Amino acid sequence: METSFALTGKGYVIVAADTTAARSIVKMKVDEDKIKEISPHLLMAYSGEPGDTVQFAEFVERNIRLYQIRNLYPLRPSAAASWIRRSLADSLRSRSPYSVNLLVGGYDTATHEPKLYWIDYLGTQVDVPFGAHGYGSYFALSLLDRYHDPEASLEEGLATLKRCVDEVAKRLVVSPGRYKVKVVDKDGVREVEI
Amino acid sequence: MSIMEYNGGSVIAMVGKDCVAIASDLRLGNQALSISSNFQKVFPVTDRIYVGLPGLGTDVTTLRERFRYRINMYTIKEEREIEPETFAHLVSSTLYEHRFGPYFIEPVIAGLSKTPSGGVKPLIAAADLIGCLNFAKDFVVAGTASTKLLGVAEGLWEPDLEPEDLFETISQTLLNSVDRDAFSGWGAVVHVITKDSIISRTLKGRMD
Amino acid sequence: MASADGGAYSYSLTVFSPSGKLVQIEHALAAVSQGTTSLGIKASNGIVIATEKKSSSILVDDSVIDKVAIVCPNIGLVYSGMGPDFRVLLTKARKSAQAYWKLYGEYPPTKVLTQEIATVMQQATQSGGVRPFGVSLLVAGWDNNRGPSLYQVDPSGSFWAWKASAIGKNMTNAKTFLEKRYNDDISLEDAIHTALLTLKEGFEGEMTEKTIEIGVVTVPTLAELEEGKIGGETGRPKPTFRKLSEEEVRDYLAL
Repeated sequence: METSFALTGKGYVIVAADTTAARSIVKMKVDEDKIKEISPHLLMAYSGEPGDTVQFAEFVERNIRLYQIRNLYPLRPSAAASWIRRSLADSLRSRSPYSVNLLVGGYDTATHEPKLYWIDYLGTQVDVPFGAHGYGSYFALSLLDRYHDPEASLEEGLATLKRCVDEVAKRLVVSPGRYKVKVVDKDGVREVEI
Repeated sequence: MSIMEYNGGSVIAMVGKDCVAIASDLRLGNQALSISSNFQKVFPVTDRIYVGLPGLGTDVTTLRERFRYRINMYTIKEEREIEPETFAHLVSSTLYEHRFGPYFIEPVIAGLSKTPSGGVKPLIAAADLIGCLNFAKDFVVAGTASTKLLGVAEGLWEPDLEPEDLFETISQTLLNSVDRDAFSGWGAVVHVITKDSIISRTLKGRMD
Repeated sequence: MASADGGAYSYSLTVFSPSGKLVQIEHALAAVSQGTTSLGIKASNGIVIATEKKSSSILVDDSVIDKVAIVCPNIGLVYSGMGPDFRVLLTKARKSAQAYWKLYGEYPPTKVLTQEIATVMQQATQSGGVRPFGVSLLVAGWDNNRGPSLYQVDPSGSFWAWKASAIGKNMTNAKTFLEKRYNDDISLEDAIHTALLTLKEGFEGEMTEKTIEIGVVTVPTLAELEEGKIGGETGRPKPTFRKLSEEEVRDYLAL
């Protein structure tokens, strides 16, 4: 089942999401990228209702891009997260709400801080040091409570992420096989292997 | 499952001698799963008014933004800060505007109003999710631990407490009440509003 | 375009003439200056607004004509100019006051209500298919924040606060008269007499309780304020603006 994790460290945010696209009990695809790079220093992992997810993620991507074109600089992570939250909150009370859960991780180039926001389909937004969505969250959050360190180096952060991935693989009946992992820091966004 | 209990969280406000206090827990959860231990639900409105918004997480943020907008417009238009009574009515009418599709929030208001002779008068109020106001002389409670808060406050509160004593009373009431509630806790924040200052403190709580 | 009537610019409401004027607004002001005189004086402990009530024929039942009107318990209005236009503005002002009450549980401060009326009047100078309002208003009220205040609103939508002002026919003479008579610590009683004297200056016919209307704002005492703003069993606030009855007007005229 769909799972995504994210954690902050010293000057970076790691965002990870599984790569399976499932329909009912069938895996349709095993290399789906569910983390969008929505601006030079911003990542967004999305999960939820198939169809809604990609539609909403592209809607966000294009609006964030539009802001950058109009103003010649990108939205900061906190502002981007607020805008995304408001979109979901408005959508919730509309005729056809989006069912999309998000982890928005970014590097604020103004304050030089890594930022991570946990957002659900209701429009609930909270600033967190680490977060997770999906069945994996039941295992990962307690692990991260124990092992997360906001001052950890990237290697240590990735090792903590590996713990989460392994725990979910070990204990969750319907665990996903592979994950895509992306990092955002002062140099921007890049993909890493675990 | 009630939508009011989906994210958890509680707020309480108390009256003291020429001061008022408002406090809340810091938990945000998804039913029994805790997501955050730093989710603020009490916000400043003016130098002398705070509002607590326990209930559905998404509506905490939406209403907070809505009130911020309306207060900013009020302050510019009227060229003065809003009074607690007036703010309470604003809260009530904002909620009632959505009578048939409400925000799932039960607000708590704490403030000091100016008296004609230049003194201050404490004011606390609570509202239900469609804006029915309840002004109280002693204390008001709301959120998933409201029943427990009511009981403990009934035992600990006394009239005319000085700011520091009021701080102790409201802190103990909140911390001990949320320990009996699975959906509230994970730390707390307390604000005591006095004539010339605001005391804000973040409290550690049990993390289980 | 130097013709006396404003030429081609006099018909379109929204086109400036080369000299920078909106001619229709000037015409509206002309309509006001043909209206009966109204005036307002701010005293140390209240405000008086007064007007002349003139009927075109002795057969008109003037007991049902109201030129001084109550907007809400703390604010009153008087006008010079076109009666029907005033009625529209009064209705809008009353609705606005009630909308404010529904939102905040109290009636608007004088300045906020004045601004609201002024906005309506300004919009009539910029919208399609309408003409400016042919009235000037005097708004008198009391509120917690600013105490007693007196405003004048013109057809253009501009407004000012006054210590004393006059609008309508003879307004220039009346203002000169008020300038001579006014001082900062005038009492409400004296202000009412000054108001009547000022009206008398340009009055045609006899001044009686039938041809004069007076409204007063009284400032509540500290004790009354401490008691709270809700008065009596009605749950309504105690009024600070009221109209003087015919008997009261007669008594003032007799002095």
